[in-house]
Amino acid sequence: MKKYFKTGLAAIAVAAVFASTAFSAEKVKVGVLHSLSGTMAISETSLRDVLLFTFDEINAAGGVMGKMIEPVVVDGASDWPLFAEKAEQLLVKDKVAATFGCWTSVSRKSVLPVYEKHNGLLFYPVQYEGEEMSPNIFYTAEAVGQQAIPAVDFLLNEGMKKFYLIGTDYVYPQTTNLVLFEYLLSKGVSVEDIGGGLRKDNAGKVISAGNYTPFGHSDFQQIVADIKKFSASGDACVINTINGDANVPFFKEFAASGITSEDCPVVSFSLSEDEFRSLPAKDLVGHLGCWTYFMSIDTLANKKFITNFNSWLAKTKVPGIIKKDRVTCSPMVLSYNGVYLWKAAVEKAKSFEPEKVMKALESGISFDGPGGKVTTQKNHHLTKTVYIGETLETGQFAIVETMKDVFGEPFLKGTFKK
Amino acid sequence: MESVLSRIRGWLLLKDNSDLGFLALLFGVMIALPLGNALFPDGSALHVSSFALGVWGKYLCYAILAISLNMLWGYTGLLCLGQCLFFALGGYAFGMYLMLMIGELGSYGSKLPDFMVFLGYEKLPAHWKPFYSPTFAILAAAWVPGLVALIFGILAFRSRIKGVYFAILTQALTYAAALLFFRNDFTFGGNNGFTDFRFILGADIRIDSTSRWLFIASCLLLFAVYWLVARILETKFGKIQQAIRDSENRVRFSGYSTTHFKVFIFVVSAMIAGLAGALYVPQAGIINPSEMWPAKGLDIVVWVAVGGRGTKLGPVIGAILVNLLKSWATRAYPESWLIILGMVFVLVVLFMPNGIVGLWAQIKARWSKGRLSKPETTVAST
Amino acid sequence: MLSKTLGAYILRILLSSLLTLGTSLGDEKEARRLLVEIVLREGAERAAALEALGDEGDPVIASMVEAWRGGQILRYRTDNATIILFKDGEAFSTLLTGEAVVPATGPKIDRPSRKLRKTLKRIVDLIDLSSPDFDKRIEAALKLGLSQNPQYLPDLKARAKRQEDSNTQRAFDEAVAISELANGSIENRLAAIRTLGSMKSFRARDYIERCISTDGDTKPTDEMVTAAKRAFAEIDSHQKMVDFIGTLFRGLSLGSVLLLVSYGLAITFGQMGVINMAHGEFIAIGGYTTYIVQNKFASAFGEGSSVYGYYFITAIPLAFMVSAIVGAIMEKGLIQFLYKRPLESLLATWGISMVLQQVFRLYFGAANVSVSSPQWLAGSLQVGDVSMSYSRVALIVCVAFVVIGTYLLLSKTSWGLHVRATMQNRQMASSLGVPSGRVNMITFAFGSGLAGLAGAFLSQIGNVGPSMGQTYIVDSFMVVVVGGVGNLLGATLSSLGIGMVDQGLQPILGPVMGKISVLFMIILFLQIKPGGLFPARSRSLDD
Repeated sequence: MKKYFKTGLAAIAVAAVFASTAFSAEKVKVGVLHSLSGTMAISETSLRDVLLFTFDEINAAGGVMGKMIEPVVVDGASDWPLFAEKAEQLLVKDKVAATFGCWTSVSRKSVLPVYEKHNGLLFYPVQYEGEEMSPNIFYTAEAVGQQAIPAVDFLLNEGMKKFYLIGTDYVYPQTTNLVLFEYLLSKGVSVEDIGGGLRKDNAGKVISAGNYTPFGHSDFQQIVADIKKFSASGDACVINTINGDANVPFFKEFAASGITSEDCPVVSFSLSEDEFRSLPAKDLVGHLGCWTYFMSIDTLANKKFITNFNSWLAKTKVPGIIKKDRVTCSPMVLSYNGVYLWKAAVEKAKSFEPEKVMKALESGISFDGPGGKVTTQKNHHLTKTVYIGETLETGQFAIVETMKDVFGEPFLKGTFKK
Repeated sequence: MESVLSRIRGWLLLKDNSDLGFLALLFGVMIALPLGNALFPDGSALHVSSFALGVWGKYLCYAILAISLNMLWGYTGLLCLGQCLFFALGGYAFGMYLMLMIGELGSYGSKLPDFMVFLGYEKLPAHWKPFYSPTFAILAAAWVPGLVALIFGILAFRSRIKGVYFAILTQALTYAAALLFFRNDFTFGGNNGFTDFRFILGADIRIDSTSRWLFIASCLLLFAVYWLVARILETKFGKIQQAIRDSENRVRFSGYSTTHFKVFIFVVSAMIAGLAGALYVPQAGIINPSEMWPAKGLDIVVWVAVGGRGTKLGPVIGAILVNLLKSWATRAYPESWLIILGMVFVLVVLFMPNGIVGLWAQIKARWSKGRLSKPETTVAST
Repeated sequence: MLSKTLGAYILRILLSSLLTLGTSLGDEKEARRLLVEIVLREGAERAAALEALGDEGDPVIASMVEAWRGGQILRYRTDNATIILFKDGEAFSTLLTGEAVVPATGPKIDRPSRKLRKTLKRIVDLIDLSSPDFDKRIEAALKLGLSQNPQYLPDLKARAKRQEDSNTQRAFDEAVAISELANGSIENRLAAIRTLGSMKSFRARDYIERCISTDGDTKPTDEMVTAAKRAFAEIDSHQKMVDFIGTLFRGLSLGSVLLLVSYGLAITFGQMGVINMAHGEFIAIGGYTTYIVQNKFASAFGEGSSVYGYYFITAIPLAFMVSAIVGAIMEKGLIQFLYKRPLESLLATWGISMVLQQVFRLYFGAANVSVSSPQWLAGSLQVGDVSMSYSRVALIVCVAFVVIGTYLLLSKTSWGLHVRATMQNRQMASSLGVPSGRVNMITFAFGSGLAGLAGAFLSQIGNVGPSMGQTYIVDSFMVVVVGGVGNLLGATLSSLGIGMVDQGLQPILGPVMGKISVLFMIILFLQIKPGGLFPARSRSLDD
């Protein structure tokens, strides 16, 4: 009797397991971890939108290895400990196969230990300072060498002699500017021609270059006056790593002071088409941007992507998605690429297991995205095409320079010698 | 039964049964949850995941923080909008220890924390050195916020700054501190703060047993803090404290130096908040300056108000409930949770002036008003 | 083709002789033809046309070059030719003749390359050298001087002699001197250094330095080095003065911003005792109202139209009204129950603030929205070497009006009397027949309306977005507290003071440390004056 009972139990258990797998065979959960409220919602909500679109697009084409993607959207609320908590929730409770998310470096840093602890897989899509390479994170983002360095090369080529560095006081601008400082010196630009101020430690080593403002700074009168002075003698440009919406008062002040992009172009690394929606574009005409994708790229792949995204927007019923006047930008496309690279890697590894997927990614997978071909590298970054664009009054970029197959190198500091 | 109770009451020097009830419950939770995590396998109905332990551990830290604010606001009438500063300072103090314990596991393989290597530091700044000692770090988590509170308290209370002025000033203080900590060259990691901890007191911070011990530690601290507050209220000191809240001038005219009382309570409250922060950081896994942002200070005030200002249990309930609500709503309604939470605050203020804890009394009052003819046999109110 | 160019050349000679006779009628036609040429042609032909254009002087060139840069020049193909169009708002005209046309098929925007734009800009500058607009003339002269291109030196020199205005005279002299630093003989250079020193020209500083550097092609003489040293001393001391005045202006302007954002609060918080944490969201309401008005104007009149520029004038009262109405609703629905519990008004309004922020986000999108400044607010006023942007000057003027208006309202009207009475003692006023319920509502609405007004103005210098109010809320409370709660004069003085101190510290400490120092100074200030600048006097024991 006891024996029968045992086998019966086992049978039920097996049946239950089968039932559950049969049920879940239809679906695979992936996490979307962005701030939908708080200060970072400005930028991150667009990434949520494009991710949901990508999942629907993949599902419509048959899913990933026959499984439909089921997104689990959570709000990190621009609150970093909450990011860590939500990440753990996604990994432990929802058991997501992969997560797409984070914008700020601090949010990535806060979830990094969680992904390492639970051996998860995170795709990070936003340009960042580098100096990091977690085994559990794949950086589809632009590294400094794929944005700042090409932009400076371009400016040097244009005959710029003086460079003013300005940014928000946090890690990305500080790092980028330190790397650029070394790079400019190595290119023969003299220290006096690098504006914004230097800070040195007791030994006289430069530990910080550029002028920094707090987050959400709204008063740029002093800085613009300083730039005006700096650029009075001509051939000067501004390297701008101001974060997010502080750019609006900066550019308004800049335009009001009467300096034009012909006198002193500003090249910005944190301003994409999406941010331009909130900027008075006529104040920015002729200033430069550098990304690995522009909406104005004239290829079939890009046009298809934009059309599909817009028709998805028109149909979607997710609350809070703005449907009118939407644009696409580099972080969005890098999110999009991330999903497709993950899909390709899963199919190559024939498994959803993060470790195997990461192996497949490291082996070098290519995807022809809207911004051109991207190829995964062993160091968890992407080789991709870098574009330099000039802002138009429409809030779009006219591409003035294209650099193909730029390698993504996260560790750049200290590599440039005079 | 009665004699056992009174004996426990005697040990704990507490008169109130509800305090005993809460402490007993807390004790039970402290035993049960970690056991559920350790004994039952994943998938069992009784299993408590270490994720849940971590989340609840954080909530307990929030509860302690709320109690520390309630000491000031609820019982002494000092609205502090900068309580988050003390919490964060405590967190930073212990975080420094945790950063040093990473050792050479950072991405540069240096003994220095990553951000220092990155900023080009060649050796550890002097003020970091003592933080190799965990004892020093824990003490610092209390005395650093305490010292800040002492200096600020003396300045503020000596010149009799009170009410709204005090509230706004504490907000200015935490705002200034946040801006300061955001600076990269302030040697505290700038905006990224401290993260990616590896070891705590020699144990791997990422394993389950560490989560259990951290949870137990949080319970113990809450236990101690709750007891302290309840105990103080039963002493003469507690009476004066509440008298200051109700009419400070009369207390002063009666010959008490209210300044000294206020400074003392402010310092104690800051130290408690600091210790809560120290326990919070290893469980949250990150500390950065946004913990000091003025909005965080307001959050704490909201917890206390929702739970019930000036009650012993209110802050604990408020902190846990609001955070549970936030945690649930950010997952269930990621687009509109702020509206839900905001409306809850408005409704609480309008219809529950004494918070959730006062709700029972409120309903009872309504009830007895409705049936005036029928006198209630009331239990001694809490 | 050659004959065409030749013909053009002859035509031009004829035309330029006509020009000297005082008419510029045919000149515009030729300029337009050359512009079309430049747009259509490439390589050598374009270069020739560019050169020819350089000799033209018609103002149409400048406006068309600007239009080209701004994407207002379009091209489309008909059966046998490519037509170049100029787009003004919704209307099109041909570039060649200026006649209005309606293009049949969708024209495509044509854009000049970066390099071409630089060349065009030079040409425009050259034309501007004789522009009737003095500012343009000055700008052009300086730019050509700073280029140190020997090609322009004779032109500059010739024109420097016949300037009728002292400002333009100065600019031309400066431009000539800077150009001579690189192109003149040793004596000329020495003289230029002396001239620039006595002119205290800051923009020449770098050039003088380059001129006396030893790695250049011409070795500097000792005399030049000493002259340069003296020039530097003169320039630097003058620059200090300019910086000082600039800082004063910037301080005044920051102070005005602070005043504007905190004035509403000084009323709702200072006068009524309501700690309104949603004050920032009322500012945002004002900003969004401006945004909506702007869009309505753009769709009704077109962005290029002259009416469009007045959207801002319309938006100001509307922003006030909308915020005031929302404020009135909030007072009736929430605040009026909390007058006895001021600290709890903090919580309820904090909740409202969260709700409003998310409502903005859901309705307008999480991203900030773009509000562009009307044309008449663009640009800056140049007083000596100090530049003040018109939007900031307008802001300062508006703030002055707000302050005076509020003062008059509160002190000279019966409503003001009621407000003051109610704020001093609600019960007493009520029992003396003041309709305190209504007074409360109107006062709160007024305070909220001022916040809306602030939002409208902030849209010109900063962000409009869901969390725009959060940027200012801490600062606003600080201003009110430093000024003395309940004292509008105090709020005025404290905001100006804080603005000045902040801007004064920034050049020394940088923006971050500057701000931190200001906060600590406020904390210390309140040690000395715990009630703010003008403490409220009260006989009650616990106020």
